[in-house]
Amino acid sequence: MKVLELKNVNKIYNSAEIKVHAVNDVTLEFEEAEFAAIVGPSGSGKTTLLNMIGGLDMPTSGEIIIGGVDLSRLRPSELIDFRLNNIGFVFQSFNLIPVLTAKENVEFIMALQKWPADKREERTLELLRAVGLEERINSRPSKLSGGQQQRVAVARALASRPKFVLADEPTANLDSKAAAILLEIMEKLNRDEKITFIFSTHDPRVMKMARRVITLEDGKVISDEGKE
Amino acid sequence: MIWSIAWKNVWRNRKRSLVVIVAVSLGITGGVFLFGFVEGWSRQRMDNAIYNEVSHIQIHNSEYRKNEEIGLTVQNLNGLSRSIDTLRELSAWTKRTKIIAMLETPWGNTGLKLYGINPEKEKRISRIHNMIVRDGGRYIDKKNPSDILISDKTADMLKLKHYIISDTVIAKLTGGKIPERIIEKLERLKNIRYRSSGDFNEALIAEMGKKETESFGPVISELSRSYRIRSRIQVTISDLGGNPVHGIFRVCGVYRTANTGFDQTTAFVNEDELVKLYGGKEILTHEIAILLNNTDESGMVRDKLNRIAGNNSVSTWRELAPDAALLNDFMIVYYFIFIGIIMLALAFGIINTMLMAVLERTRELGMLMAIGMNRRRVFAMIMLETVFLTFTGAIAGMLSGWVITGILGKTGIYLSGWAEGFEALGFASRVYPVVTIDFIMFTSLMVTATAILASVWPARKALKLIPADALSTK
Repeated sequence: MKVLELKNVNKIYNSAEIKVHAVNDVTLEFEEAEFAAIVGPSGSGKTTLLNMIGGLDMPTSGEIIIGGVDLSRLRPSELIDFRLNNIGFVFQSFNLIPVLTAKENVEFIMALQKWPADKREERTLELLRAVGLEERINSRPSKLSGGQQQRVAVARALASRPKFVLADEPTANLDSKAAAILLEIMEKLNRDEKITFIFSTHDPRVMKMARRVITLEDGKVISDEGKE
Repeated sequence: MIWSIAWKNVWRNRKRSLVVIVAVSLGITGGVFLFGFVEGWSRQRMDNAIYNEVSHIQIHNSEYRKNEEIGLTVQNLNGLSRSIDTLRELSAWTKRTKIIAMLETPWGNTGLKLYGINPEKEKRISRIHNMIVRDGGRYIDKKNPSDILISDKTADMLKLKHYIISDTVIAKLTGGKIPERIIEKLERLKNIRYRSSGDFNEALIAEMGKKETESFGPVISELSRSYRIRSRIQVTISDLGGNPVHGIFRVCGVYRTANTGFDQTTAFVNEDELVKLYGGKEILTHEIAILLNNTDESGMVRDKLNRIAGNNSVSTWRELAPDAALLNDFMIVYYFIFIGIIMLALAFGIINTMLMAVLERTRELGMLMAIGMNRRRVFAMIMLETVFLTFTGAIAGMLSGWVITGILGKTGIYLSGWAEGFEALGFASRVYPVVTIDFIMFTSLMVTATAILASVWPARKALKLIPADALSTK
């Protein structure tokens, strides 16, 4: 089942002196339960593309369709609600809410979706168990290691039962051991929960584990390779 | 959950939040105290005016207040008395004779308004009977027809007051708060009689110096002072025919209110004895004083009485003591000005702090918007943070203001340096601050409104963030 479709997507930044074609005529499709990596050198347009897929930025032209909905047709307020219910985010620098515990950080997104308290609790514990942090549920981010914080971020991204998870260089700030654990967890969740993961990355470990690798250069897709 | 995050966010930068909380708290404490002080002062003046001086309502012959002649008595007294008795709002009322008189002793004289009263009825309407000074005799008694009750100020003018530093006074001062060196100096003034407070004060200054007289003079004066109770006073008034007539009265007591202006122009005698002096068949009524159960009903009762007053004029305490009424009314204006200034200062402090908080959290706010926190919730979160921050300070300020005002409301604040001046204007020199629940409620509302208004700018700043840009900030 198709969860995400990009049709002739372009993003052009117009500054006073120079016109930058950050994403150039990208057409892609992602199916349910994919584990895909978008790779490419710095400035190749990975983050811009990911921002547009996540509805954080709008393409200059082209269509981004998620679950049959064209993002460009949504009003800003509808777009926020759409993100809440359909997209999970994992950021390079974790971006947890520092005043909340691990449990509260995961619960927060479900509270925004107005889940009943008992269901929230149940799902939070289930996810924190899945990322191996059942012992640290009451720890604040400042008391967790980078790897643990990123695992909480993964649990938070999955909490809303999104159609897919966008992870922008999720292992960039982690040591190799923490990165390996995180990747294993994500891969397991991808298999068990049938959730699509789309990464932007430079990390060869992620590329190795990804079942599909899309390479960008100067905003263009230069290769899109699937492997089984 | 937004409430919980907002509350936790307040304590993120403890030092900065505490600075704001302390500033808000100090501002509110100051506001509560100052309001309590002025409110207490105003209420005391109003209470003194109503319960010592003019009551809630007075009725006079309509010409009397312009020209206080002995013949201008209240008209239709019987009809009016019957109507007053039926007033539902009535607490007590009395009739008074009021005559301009000259009081003389062998040592001094003074002119004043002499009231002929029924002591028992008067006690129900005025608190003067509770204001007899220490060792100042007693209130007027109907059984002693020649009684005259004068004020401490009148006693001073008639030289019926003297100051002697006796052995008893020295003994009382020793072992108290008066230092030994002062006692030694006082020994040199022992057993000398001073006939006025001015003379006594001068002697103290000559012996102890100005500074120490200011510090210890009031205590020494209070203990050294005594009155010539039962002294005879010659009272001169004009009789019904306009001829001067004299009578002898004996001082039964000396009173003192907070209003020296009132004190030095007011003395009381038995109405039955006064009638003998001015002649005539019956007691003249120049003034009817009415006390109500509720001060707020004064205007309404005045209007009711005006309909049956005929050729008399009915006045409320507001017209009879306009200074007290003005202060009472001005309080509201004063409050709004003062609280407005505090709130303005508060708003700037809060805006500054919250703008800093928003700028510091740009990335986090971007993340919140990216993962699906809508603008309404972001706005609510910033607003709640501001309200929590402000209210924490406000509650602390109101509590401390309440406690300070409560303590000072019991002990009073003595304005020693300005006592004489204030009392001459009718204002108490010892102020008992009062804080009402209405004031606390209204201040809480003002603080909430200020916090909400002050949160708009920082919250709007947060709303203008573009998630993708906010997330890329370092």
